[in-house]
Amino acid sequence: MADLFDRFAPLMSQRDAFFTDGGADPFNVRMTEILSQTEAMIGNRRTILVGTNNYLGLTFSPEALAAAHAALDAGGTGTTGSRVANGTYAGHADLEQALCDFFDTRHAMVFSTGFLANLGVLSTLMGQGDYILMDADCHASIYDGVRASAAEIIRFKHNDAADLDKRLARLAGKPGNKLIVVEGIYSMLGDTAPLRDIVAVKKKYENVYLLSDEAHSLGVLGKYGRGLPEQEDCEDDVDFIVGTFSKSVGTVGGFCVSNHPKFNILRLVCRPYVFTASLPPAVVAAAQANLSLIKSGGALRTRLMRNAQKLHAGLSGLGLKIASKVSPVVAVVAPEPAVAVAFWRGLIEAGVYVNLALPPATPYGYSLLRASLCAAHTEEQLDEVIGIFADVATSLGLIEPQRKRAAIG
Amino acid sequence: MATGTDHQPSPDTFAALYEVIGGFNKTGTVLTPGTRFSEDLNFDSLVVMEFVAEVEDRFDISVPLNLLPDIATIADFAVALEKIVAEDRR
Repeated sequence: MADLFDRFAPLMSQRDAFFTDGGADPFNVRMTEILSQTEAMIGNRRTILVGTNNYLGLTFSPEALAAAHAALDAGGTGTTGSRVANGTYAGHADLEQALCDFFDTRHAMVFSTGFLANLGVLSTLMGQGDYILMDADCHASIYDGVRASAAEIIRFKHNDAADLDKRLARLAGKPGNKLIVVEGIYSMLGDTAPLRDIVAVKKKYENVYLLSDEAHSLGVLGKYGRGLPEQEDCEDDVDFIVGTFSKSVGTVGGFCVSNHPKFNILRLVCRPYVFTASLPPAVVAAAQANLSLIKSGGALRTRLMRNAQKLHAGLSGLGLKIASKVSPVVAVVAPEPAVAVAFWRGLIEAGVYVNLALPPATPYGYSLLRASLCAAHTEEQLDEVIGIFADVATSLGLIEPQRKRAAIG
Repeated sequence: MATGTDHQPSPDTFAALYEVIGGFNKTGTVLTPGTRFSEDLNFDSLVVMEFVAEVEDRFDISVPLNLLPDIATIADFAVALEKIVAEDRR
């Protein structure tokens, strides 16, 4: 009889080949002390964090800390149940109103994580006889959400509005609603959706809705931080925005906002909303406090983009291949998984933490060292990061020593 | 997918599929209608997606993701493919 876990054998042997030689292992990183938004102790080493998605550095904002402390003392450590069964705390309703005000939408619904928001909304919004057209590079939570839907699921080529157009044209005669799903910033490579082109395609057909996942672009793009739809001036054409509090908002939780008049029925049909515990009061209060900082956070966004530019220029100047244009996600493409693993280890041993991302979790089968910037990174920290990338890349033979000298002076 | 239907896909469909699969056939498996994507060809989720995208381009169709769990063999895929092509022509 085969062992229960035998079907994971190929994955286990891939993991063992890389990570059972006693060297550093991304699945076993222990941050023993969080020194700031940008530094932690990993083992005995002070490490610069360049892989946190903490884009605005709001995890220690005095406003959120104070609000969370007060809510914790007033409301306790948890709600111990779902809002549908155990009731809504005033804080949940206040946060939803704050989201409505922030996005200028009629409705907002808070979920316990961003993953659950996608799972809940995408599994219920479209039904039998409907169609979901999703970008091929969408996040795992979108894949899992649409898989749980009764609709027919069609993928279009990443960021290819013409391919979407072709696929919508094939469905033009068929009854049923159609939902396009894209992301503001795609998490692995940091590229953005061609939202205006997508909107133009959407408008060519009947009964087509658009959902954008702004997980990585909330707080990052747009004058007021409302994400890619704000930046591209097409908010009225995006019917549903899904997002998370776990990146720029600096805590945990998810949401969906919409102007659809009947939106609130989702509260009764989204199982990942009905059957899971609601966010604890301290988290709700922190999210609301940081949301208002994001709205007025133009200076933070300027610093973030300046840092993104610096790291992008520094690493591409070394001769490393970067997967996309300047963005708060800077993904260095390694030639193969084993090199990416060695690169990642070299970085962490020298005090730089980035994300190691290997196929099949990555687009195009890329092996990635994925860095994400924070508004709170200093120039000195980024100089140190670029210097360490240069040392490790040189020792792995990925760049020529003179490139290193030229880039870091 | 193939079970329960009398439909026999055309040799042209198989020939086209073999050609596309050829680009992904890293195990050098001899391709027959009964060849299984997962067990015989070692297609992982990423390769499946790339393969489906190429078939979509070649036949100018959309293959819904919902069909994939029911497709084990090349013959299963051929049957599904011809059904989609026929529906698009209607």
